[in-house]
Amino acid sequence: MFDAVSSLISSVFSRGSSLSVPILDGALKPNNMIEIATIVAERQGLEDLALGPDNTLYAACGQDVLKLSDAGDFTVAAHFDQPVTALAFTSSGELAAGLSNAVVIGGRTLDSADGKSFVSVNALSATPDGGLLIADGSASRPYAQWSHDLMEGGRTGRLLRHDTASGRTTTLGSGLGYAFGAMADARGRILVSESWRHRLSVIENGRARVAVPALPGYPSRLAPTQDGGFWLTLFSCRTQLVEFVLQEDDYRHEMMRSIEPKYWVAPALSSGDDYMEPLQGGSVKQMGILKPWAPPRSYGLAVRFNADFLPLYSVHSRTGGRNHGIVAVVQRGDDLFLLSKGAGRVLRLSASDIQSAWAKGTNE
Amino acid sequence: MSNTLTKLRYRYWPDHVFGELLQKQWMETAVPLLVLLLTIAFFSSRIDNFISPANLSDTLRQASELGFVVLGMSLVLIVGGIDLSVASIFALCNLTALYCINVLGLPAPAAIAITLLLGAVLGAVNGVLIGYMRMRAFLTTMVTLIVYKAIHDLLNFQLAVAISSVIPDVPAWDFLGNGDFLSIPAVVWVFAVIAIASHIFLTRLRPGWYVMAIGGNRRSAYNIGLPVNRVVAMSYVASGVFAAISAIFYASRLASPGADTGKGLEITVLTAAILGGIRLGGGKGSVTKAVLGTLIILIISNGLLRLATPAGSSRVILATILLLAAMLDIRWFKNRHKAVQELYVSPSYLELPKSPPTDAASPFALNDRLRNVETIGLGEVESPEDVILDKDDNLYCGSRHGEIIRFFAPDYKRREVYARIGGQPLGMAFDAGGTLYVCIGGMGLYRVRPDRTVEKVTDETNRSLLSVVDDSRLRLADDLDIAPDGRVYFSEATIRYEMHEWPTDSLEGRGNGRIICYDPRTNKTHTVLRHLIFPNGVVLASDKQSIIFAESWNCSIKRYWFDGPKAGKTETVIASLPGYPDNINLASDGNYWLALMGMRSPAFDLAMRKPAFRRRMSKRLPGDEWLAPNINTGCIVKFNEKGEILDALWDLGGANHPMITSMREHKGYLYIGGISNNRIGRVKVDGADPEFMSSGRYHV
Repeated sequence: MFDAVSSLISSVFSRGSSLSVPILDGALKPNNMIEIATIVAERQGLEDLALGPDNTLYAACGQDVLKLSDAGDFTVAAHFDQPVTALAFTSSGELAAGLSNAVVIGGRTLDSADGKSFVSVNALSATPDGGLLIADGSASRPYAQWSHDLMEGGRTGRLLRHDTASGRTTTLGSGLGYAFGAMADARGRILVSESWRHRLSVIENGRARVAVPALPGYPSRLAPTQDGGFWLTLFSCRTQLVEFVLQEDDYRHEMMRSIEPKYWVAPALSSGDDYMEPLQGGSVKQMGILKPWAPPRSYGLAVRFNADFLPLYSVHSRTGGRNHGIVAVVQRGDDLFLLSKGAGRVLRLSASDIQSAWAKGTNE
Repeated sequence: MSNTLTKLRYRYWPDHVFGELLQKQWMETAVPLLVLLLTIAFFSSRIDNFISPANLSDTLRQASELGFVVLGMSLVLIVGGIDLSVASIFALCNLTALYCINVLGLPAPAAIAITLLLGAVLGAVNGVLIGYMRMRAFLTTMVTLIVYKAIHDLLNFQLAVAISSVIPDVPAWDFLGNGDFLSIPAVVWVFAVIAIASHIFLTRLRPGWYVMAIGGNRRSAYNIGLPVNRVVAMSYVASGVFAAISAIFYASRLASPGADTGKGLEITVLTAAILGGIRLGGGKGSVTKAVLGTLIILIISNGLLRLATPAGSSRVILATILLLAAMLDIRWFKNRHKAVQELYVSPSYLELPKSPPTDAASPFALNDRLRNVETIGLGEVESPEDVILDKDDNLYCGSRHGEIIRFFAPDYKRREVYARIGGQPLGMAFDAGGTLYVCIGGMGLYRVRPDRTVEKVTDETNRSLLSVVDDSRLRLADDLDIAPDGRVYFSEATIRYEMHEWPTDSLEGRGNGRIICYDPRTNKTHTVLRHLIFPNGVVLASDKQSIIFAESWNCSIKRYWFDGPKAGKTETVIASLPGYPDNINLASDGNYWLALMGMRSPAFDLAMRKPAFRRRMSKRLPGDEWLAPNINTGCIVKFNEKGEILDALWDLGGANHPMITSMREHKGYLYIGGISNNRIGRVKVDGADPEFMSSGRYHV
């Protein structure tokens, strides 16, 4: 009875809800696979990956779209006058590029849909029926200011579908807690990552239904696999400190006003290179080592789900590692390509090796 | 505007005092006292003349009678038992006393002696059964309650008429019941004397400590050899005697052998004891609490009587109070440490000046000069907070295992345990005789003589006048230097936390630390400076009349004069550093080396201006998740007495020396230590005096 009363009292007097964050367990048990993955190519400004119609890998990097050979050489395939924020190929093989406030498909440029301009286009994904899914993360902040949107509690993301045949664009869902990655799966369901709500949603009849709740990180772009499942990238992990700061309006507002975004208490794509970044108690180096279980400011994580939205296994780069901020993934045959935005690298893993390591339990 | 208010509020409102108050033992007595005052206030607002002299005198008389029984019950409760039979013992003794006086016509002293003896015997029955036969206190005393009551009823039936038919004329006996001394009833005097004696017994005498110890933990008490059985048995005897004393006064006042005598007394007494704050589980309680509980109960029951509450309902009220008090008792003792924890951490407002730039044009310009240092003892030493070298170039450092390790010159490949101390060695200094003076976290100032004997120099200083918690013990002595006359000046980083709790102190950012002086001539220790924000890194300045020290969380360097024309003055040398300063040591060119154990981050600086934010953070997040000072990157800087930065050495990325807490120049090299590191670094200093030694000039 006392517990009930005290929880009632604390719900009245304390600020906000619980600060607990899901732990990395089960299929999310940490390993070092991303950290020790083969580095295919390294280049500052890498943003997104897509598989071209010729089955070669393309990468968005700065204002360019680059073709990446198996040897790791880049050749410029297209150039834009703004940074490319998303990349995809339509089912007919046309290049589609997001430019934060516009989408270019083939030669055509879309800069608004349903009467609202694009602000933060951050993911594109072709559907088998010739459509293109467009994730517009926020209606108030351009893509480069994603952490502003998180700190402002952004719930203005939307998911759109552009029909290449008719040229019409329709809104599938809006009011999303930052749409960052979308995909149509083998059964025709439309999936969207809602980063700030830490979940994957399925869009049904204009409504978002939770498909995977309570992720331990911030979900970003997705990529389908042959068996009807998919790979989900999480660009950073959640920490209790960030959840706490999200409830602390006074501190957060002053932080946004007076401190450079890269030094905010906020998730990051990479960390550890600048001593002016905030540090948490558990991240203090002991005996010369940053403990891998320390609260992560940045993290590298991709999770493999099956067609029933159940996580099967995952690959990690833990706290203290380099290959953090995994924002894009592409599977081509047995090769799994991951894009670490934090390190500016394209990494390669063998899908069958991952699977067998998890099956044998040697995925340490 | 609101900022100024916040500043003033945190400057003048002593948040930290509340947590400290809650830790005090007497706070548990303050709660029943408050309840008593509230009860008095409530009834005097409802009833006219509730606090009239006559009424007061009457209340005190009753309170004293009841108080004896409560004292006895408290004693039994403290030792971990319960005595329900007090009511029956009381009734039997009442009957006996009256029989002795009225029927047998014995003189008062004889009647009193017989009654007391009876009380002792009745109590001893409980005592033997519970203490020696190990029977359950609750069941046993319930049985004796019934048995004694039955005996009382039988005797009362036979004797009541005989007692009532005589009105004895024994002045001494009447004085007990109705007499006054200095217009205060006799019974109150007796109670006062016995209460004070009981207090002394419980708090100052060995048997009283036995009682507390056995109640606190019976098994431990047995294991250390206390006579558990006897003490338990004696507490029941005492309870019986106290009931008898009460009965004597009751008998002399009312002279009534009624069949209802003492009915429900055990509930009243138990309520009084628990309401006063005496633990049902044993081990905690005091005479003051028993007295407060008695007064509360009496005032409530008298007040209810005066308010004309029906007899039944007033007992229901009392029983409800008992239930609530027992519930509170359990909840409070279960959660007390949590409450203390919640209130103890009390962040303050700390506005640091703007952090100086560390760009290429600044004196702090980043470089990699510490990246490729020689490492000594990698993986062989843990937590070398400070390093020091002797005349023969041997290297000494502390370890977290409580040892001082010596690495042998010239190559420092061999090592041995130089001395075992038991606590983490922090700052070190040699005197001219080769004795090593060491600050030990959690222990105080120690020295290791050249023959390796370890001696405590001091572990306490004078207690400050207004401290709530005794602050005379040294909790975190951390760096020292020796003055020319042999006095040792050392810093104590915080008086509120232990060494491993330094993150909590950084979260508070209050002036919790002090500078202390040990004087070998008088062998006395006294505090010279208080309210410093994590003072650290003490070094003797060039004028030999002052020390330079660092205030870590304040990111500043200060200078304090202990002698000469400026004696007693403190001045700021560097007002704002880009990081958190730790140890300071002499450089061969007359300047000073300073270790920056970590660098300031804007997010943490902002948090230091948001005390309420930090308080909530400390409550809602585990320590590993707290925002902390960034001590993963440190550097070494050289500064002069004017406060100018002359040089900076960095290990960016912290490959070898992420956190630097100390460095020592010795014969052209700089030796580097870090409290969270597992190695010592050594780097050549260009242009340094090849004969220079930083320590060992003065005799203590």
